[in-house]
Amino acid sequence: MGTTSTMKSIKQFNPKAYQRQSFWRAAWKAISRKPGRLVGFIIIVIFTLMAIVGPYLFPKELPIDPNAIYAPLSWKYPLGTDFEGTSNLALIITGARYVLLAAALGALFTVVFGTVLGLVAGYFLGWSDSVIMRITDFFLTVPSFPLLVVLSTVWNFGHPLAMGFILGITGWGGMARAVRSQTLSLRERGFIEAARGLGLSPFYILFREILPNVSSYIGMNLLTSITGCIYAEVGLFFLGVVPFHVNNWGVMLNMAVFSAGAMSSPSALPYLLSPLLALLILTLGIVLFLDAVDEMFNPRLREDA
Amino acid sequence: MIEIKNLEKYFTIKAKFSDRKIVHAVRRASLTIPDGGAVSLIGESGCGKTTIGRMLCGMETPSEGTIIINGQDISKLRRGARARLLQKIQLIHQDPYQALNPTHTIQQMMSATLKKMARQKKKGAEWISQRTNELLKLVGLDPSTILFKYPHMLSGGQKQRVIIARALTVEPEMLVADEVVSMIDVSLRLGILKLLRSLREKFNISILFITHDIASARYLGSNTELYVVYKGMIIEKGLTEQVIRQPHHPYTQALLSAMPILKGIEKPGKDRFVLTSQFRQSEEEQVGCLFADRCPFSQPICSEKRPELISQGNSTDAYACFFPEIRDVAAVSVDH
Amino acid sequence: MTNASSANMENVIEEKNQDMAISARNINVVYSTPTGQIPAVRNVDIDLPKGSITGIIGESGSGKSTLIMAIMNAVTKPGKIESGSVILDGKEDMLKLSTEQQRKIRGKKIGFVFQAAQNSLNPLRRVGQQILDLGRSHDVKDLRALIKYAKELLMRLGLDADRVLASYQHELSGGMRQRVGIMFALVLNADIVFLDESTTALDMLSQASVLEIIRELQKEKKLTIALVSHDIGVIADLSERIEIFYAGEIVEEGKTDDVLANPQHPYTRGLIRAIPKISGDIDSAEPLKGASPDYKTYQQPGCLFYDRCPIRTDECLKKRPDLTHIGKSHKVACFRVGVHD
Repeated sequence: MGTTSTMKSIKQFNPKAYQRQSFWRAAWKAISRKPGRLVGFIIIVIFTLMAIVGPYLFPKELPIDPNAIYAPLSWKYPLGTDFEGTSNLALIITGARYVLLAAALGALFTVVFGTVLGLVAGYFLGWSDSVIMRITDFFLTVPSFPLLVVLSTVWNFGHPLAMGFILGITGWGGMARAVRSQTLSLRERGFIEAARGLGLSPFYILFREILPNVSSYIGMNLLTSITGCIYAEVGLFFLGVVPFHVNNWGVMLNMAVFSAGAMSSPSALPYLLSPLLALLILTLGIVLFLDAVDEMFNPRLREDA
Repeated sequence: MIEIKNLEKYFTIKAKFSDRKIVHAVRRASLTIPDGGAVSLIGESGCGKTTIGRMLCGMETPSEGTIIINGQDISKLRRGARARLLQKIQLIHQDPYQALNPTHTIQQMMSATLKKMARQKKKGAEWISQRTNELLKLVGLDPSTILFKYPHMLSGGQKQRVIIARALTVEPEMLVADEVVSMIDVSLRLGILKLLRSLREKFNISILFITHDIASARYLGSNTELYVVYKGMIIEKGLTEQVIRQPHHPYTQALLSAMPILKGIEKPGKDRFVLTSQFRQSEEEQVGCLFADRCPFSQPICSEKRPELISQGNSTDAYACFFPEIRDVAAVSVDH
Repeated sequence: MTNASSANMENVIEEKNQDMAISARNINVVYSTPTGQIPAVRNVDIDLPKGSITGIIGESGSGKSTLIMAIMNAVTKPGKIESGSVILDGKEDMLKLSTEQQRKIRGKKIGFVFQAAQNSLNPLRRVGQQILDLGRSHDVKDLRALIKYAKELLMRLGLDADRVLASYQHELSGGMRQRVGIMFALVLNADIVFLDESTTALDMLSQASVLEIIRELQKEKKLTIALVSHDIGVIADLSERIEIFYAGEIVEEGKTDDVLANPQHPYTRGLIRAIPKISGDIDSAEPLKGASPDYKTYQQPGCLFYDRCPIRTDECLKKRPDLTHIGKSHKVACFRVGVHD
């Protein structure tokens, strides 16, 4: 968090100091401390890789095999096949990009909007607080999922960015409220008063003094809102209110239930269960990883000496 | 030089629903602190001593009265100029565990303000690190071991020193030390007090020392004045040693009597008395002496009229009591 | 050395004859930390004679609170009592009782006022309800009498009893909560009371009146009190005997006025010199030198105070001094007794 310029100058006169620990090293320590966290981390990394390189591993048009429609689990088709005989595993891997990118963007929008507005409202109070909180209340009262359904009929969500933006817009209200209340309690703390007394700028106080103190909270919210966003978008695709431009997990669920009749015919069950399994594992990974977040951001917990 | 004249402060407290209660926190307080001088405010918690300090730092606005810093009335200045002037007065918080950001290293804290100073002085990064070292050494800390530590890795005394070092980064003319030693071990207090004293003597920084412990007020160097505050009113003032040895006001005497006796080293003063009644913010405004309801020596007139703070002859001593009497209450050393 | 130890033996026999409310022997408490095992309390023998006030002085982190927790057999993880015995009233060993028996003793026989008694009340229940809870959990038959007694105690403590019983924690001031804490420690008629830094957060006048009340109640009910604090002033004012605690060991003990007037351990001397006093010469006061003990201090074989000691010799680095008699009840753990700095 310290700027590089001061870091350099300090090192000159400071040969064997109490060494400053880099954030990443501390984060890794927190993750590797417990096996559960490590498992969560690995799951997240695998899914991220899936989203990044997944589509390049397969041809643009996935091969179809008319002889293996709804094939059972086998070495060739570890998760079975769909109605065209396409490998479910290939569908999951190639479908991850849209789902994860949209969810990550959605969560990012949620956190950025929520944090900045919550910080500003909670620190400055007065009219900015009133205005921001009224807008927040408005977004909180609007039921977000029905709104998404309505919006999706009007807008085209082909691009994950659009989807993420919409997910973020509807989701930041709760975050802003929570950050505001944390800021309210922090601004009464001695060190904020001291910073004000020392004549530090409001910008510095907001983003350098208060923000690090709510960062573990924000980190956790980022992760939980990723899962929330995934469920929301998969739900939209499942309901079929969003046009299917690309293959993804939600589309798979929709097809499995409404076209393949997976609820009644057992042979189509792998087609239904494989996206559900992907969702389950990813959620599990995030939940396991959440445990490490507090330790990563809180220097008091990070201490290893 | 800092002058406070007839300072008043009312707080409005919301009670039930629309009920509002007005608390008179500071009553016509006046005091003067010369450059490099030291004044101690003594009183129980809730007596308004902290409010006086906070008004001086600009963290509360006085309801009435004037604060004059270096000849300038701060209420008459524009916002920018007032902020610049008030920066010369730094508050040292009573709770060292609260006053440092738990997510920052000591180096980050020090450089935050030093960067600003460096811009003003047109100095580079070199100056910042040099100054950080210099200030940490000045307050008795070893920069090389402490620079990259987080506050929770330091002891209470070390934290308090870091807070003082950080206040010194903006080159203040005065420190308002609010109960700076009450949260740290007795064995470490003297170190902090000596540090404050040396800041006075070496850098001519004046000190407003706010405390409930009269003993620590003795260690701030020569010519320290003691102001005793009760329910927002200054009820006795004078040179520290003199007030301790010849207290006139019964409340001052009660405070002095309350000091624990170090058996074997000290013996109690012969007039020592213990005040058992509790301090209460009274519901309605008292007409008479504010201390009358608890005073063991009160007379009927005390609850009818309020005594003013009157100086005695040409000395700096003053007290607000109708029946002043010197009582020998402070403990004295036993000679072996 | 030999003379001292034989004198030591005699005194041990003599002490045994006196009635002890608590007699703790050879207490060892170890904390497991990532850097290794830290002996927070090491080979401590401590006696609380019936009806007396004993003060335990130490800096924060010296292990004095851990010692009290060990006596109550309430050390929490990562701490662990390695060895020792705590004999209550010359009868049962607190460290060998079942958890249920211990729970009965805490409260009924031993009262405890926490360091943070200010915050140890349940914020969601009125004080009166909490007294009833306490009574029920200790199988008190006559709850009416319990409340009556609680009121009486509160009145003695200078509080408006009815108001306090009907209040929640947040409606009471710091000084009032502290007094309520003392009431809780006494309401089940405990005759041994531990006060851990229980006046530290109060200002001078509240502190003085709480101390005065403790003194009165102690005399009246013949309580055995152990007072734990970093503030020599409070302890010197109230206690008959004091124990000076440094880095998990007792370095000096004896009658209060004796130890204060004639301190023998360099740590005690430094401590006394370092307290801001209302009397005496300002310039003779001097801060305690050096840093508080850290985990490295505990690892070395020699005297724990070696790093900070003004009168140390090479011998002090090799061996650790034992607590030995230098007067009738005055004991010091130092090789250099009689040497002044």
